[in-house]
Amino acid sequence: MANPTLEMIQGLLYGKGLHIGQPGRLARIVGVMAGGKMDVVPFMGPQIHDHAMTVAKVPARRYYWDAKLLVDTHMAVDRWYGFDSDTIVADAYNFEVEALGAKMIYSDIAMPTVDVSDPLIKGPADLDRIGSLDPSKGRIPMAIQVGKFFMEKAPGPIAGGFFCSHWSLLCQAMGYPKAVRALKRDRGFATALFDWANDRVLFPFMQAYAAAGVKNANGADAWACFPDLTPELVEEWVLPYAKKLREQSKKELKMTAAAGAAAADYCEEDPAKFSKEMMFKCLAVGVKTFPLKVAPSAMGRTQDWDMRWLREFAEKEGKNGKMIPVTASLNGRFMRDSTPAQIVAKLAEWIDILGRDGGLLVFIGNVPADTPSLNIHTAVKATHTLGKYPIAADLTKIKIEPPTYPTFDEWLKGQPEEETIRKAREWKPDNKKVIA
Amino acid sequence: MTDQYAEVMKAIVDGDDTQAAKLVEVALAQGLPPLDILNQGVVAGIHKTGELWAANKYFLPDVILSADAFKAAMLPLEPKLKESTRGKKAAKFVIGVVQGDMHDLGKSLVNAMLTSAGFEVIDLGIDVPKEKFIAAVREHKPAILGLGAYMSTTMLEMKEIIAELEKQGLRRGLKVMVGGVPTSQEFADEVGADAWGKDAMLAMQKALELVGGKNG
Repeated sequence: MANPTLEMIQGLLYGKGLHIGQPGRLARIVGVMAGGKMDVVPFMGPQIHDHAMTVAKVPARRYYWDAKLLVDTHMAVDRWYGFDSDTIVADAYNFEVEALGAKMIYSDIAMPTVDVSDPLIKGPADLDRIGSLDPSKGRIPMAIQVGKFFMEKAPGPIAGGFFCSHWSLLCQAMGYPKAVRALKRDRGFATALFDWANDRVLFPFMQAYAAAGVKNANGADAWACFPDLTPELVEEWVLPYAKKLREQSKKELKMTAAAGAAAADYCEEDPAKFSKEMMFKCLAVGVKTFPLKVAPSAMGRTQDWDMRWLREFAEKEGKNGKMIPVTASLNGRFMRDSTPAQIVAKLAEWIDILGRDGGLLVFIGNVPADTPSLNIHTAVKATHTLGKYPIAADLTKIKIEPPTYPTFDEWLKGQPEEETIRKAREWKPDNKKVIA
Repeated sequence: MTDQYAEVMKAIVDGDDTQAAKLVEVALAQGLPPLDILNQGVVAGIHKTGELWAANKYFLPDVILSADAFKAAMLPLEPKLKESTRGKKAAKFVIGVVQGDMHDLGKSLVNAMLTSAGFEVIDLGIDVPKEKFIAAVREHKPAILGLGAYMSTTMLEMKEIIAELEKQGLRRGLKVMVGGVPTSQEFADEVGADAWGKDAMLAMQKALELVGGKNG
């Protein structure tokens, strides 16, 4: 079923018990996001840019500058793993500040990074000096192309562009400690910073997206996670500006600018400090950053979470004891450093607690470049096997055999992305000078 | 504890850098012993912040401000502490939190403990790139290099730094200590560090052991 509208309708109906045909990838995601029970627990495509580049063996200095290569590589690697959706982003936190003139560090093997030793904003006077974002600068045109290609290749509500939301943008531009000092000590400067980020950087970016026909963009704000910011500070600063950009974009550009994603994400690193009260506060704020009501987990140390807490929260937010949908996100380091058996055991535990009544999506916070492919294949297989409805009474009795799969290169033969990826591998550093 | 020490402590806990520096200056002008101001005011303040952080009552923004106040208090105090140990050769300790990590508290606590133990501490701050650690080792020729991390993502940077020190021939004669929430003795052994500091107090004790128990 290639028609995204039909696929979405199929997903919604299937989730409500009307089973017409086998649900496709988009149908699974849409059905579960609406709280439904699909054929299996879906595995959402994670943020995977550095890992996808490593798997496909394409050079960083082309991959992060060539929209077609970036999109093709993501989509090919996502299908090789069997994810139920795609999340296509590059080094999403860098594009705006790079275009505004921040010093960057470029590498042959990894994504570009902001040079924090020499920040773009050192004081209030810098805002006028830097001025507004020129969407023709840096790699902003590439980001817009990524959004266009993504929408062409995977039409539907998930595809679109990306941007760096307000607070993370400020952290990228001036460093986290300086940004925090402004928030806590100088309200006037903090307001000027957020106004600048919204009115002179992000809205012009959204205008450029809209002009190119990209009507959906997701803005991540990982620097606004807990404990980098408290839920109170997120409520006070991050959410109002996320709302402002969303409403401005909707009204003036007829587009969805979903700012503030991952704000208030509970990222306490020390299990001894896990607090149910604080987690609930964070989740309550995090819910407000999503267009649909979802109990989110993203980048935190989820392998040590008590998922009954997440269930309790999802039930509290739902009606008549029914959970709101839950994203259960496997921690990236856990995925990299664990054995396949540990991953299977973790998923069995989560599906048992969260998945029995539908509404559960499994995800990975962010996939580190050097994560063993076997671990990801195992996670997808385990999710689709253990998460097959009706869920077995005792999931520990289901044995997940090690997945068998062709190497990426074997699999790539004959795929639509093959030529783009193989051609990119022939690129040599002298071929093209990379200029931001 | 005199009221003045309690006030210094409070200014640090409150993250009031201006007040912290001012109170230390007043205390010094009144002739209070620098080491007492350090231990009963400044170290006590950053220690209290650590307790509030551990109890989930303080969060990273509060800690950043407390660490700022700690640094502001140390500015007038450090020259006086050096004067009081003049003639004694203090071992140098270069300390910093690795790149990508903004957690200042643990490092500030260790800094305070080391200073009170007579080390000359060169604090590189937070989010320190590998190259800056290497350059500081070249420049200051410390007895010990201390690497801190609060996150399991950033702790891996420590291995890279130690490898780079080896590569550049700077490891000989230099002791390396690692510390921070996600680290452990096993991790310290794995990355080739000489010692692991479980907390600020133990870090100071281990540092003293590494320099032969004598310092300042």
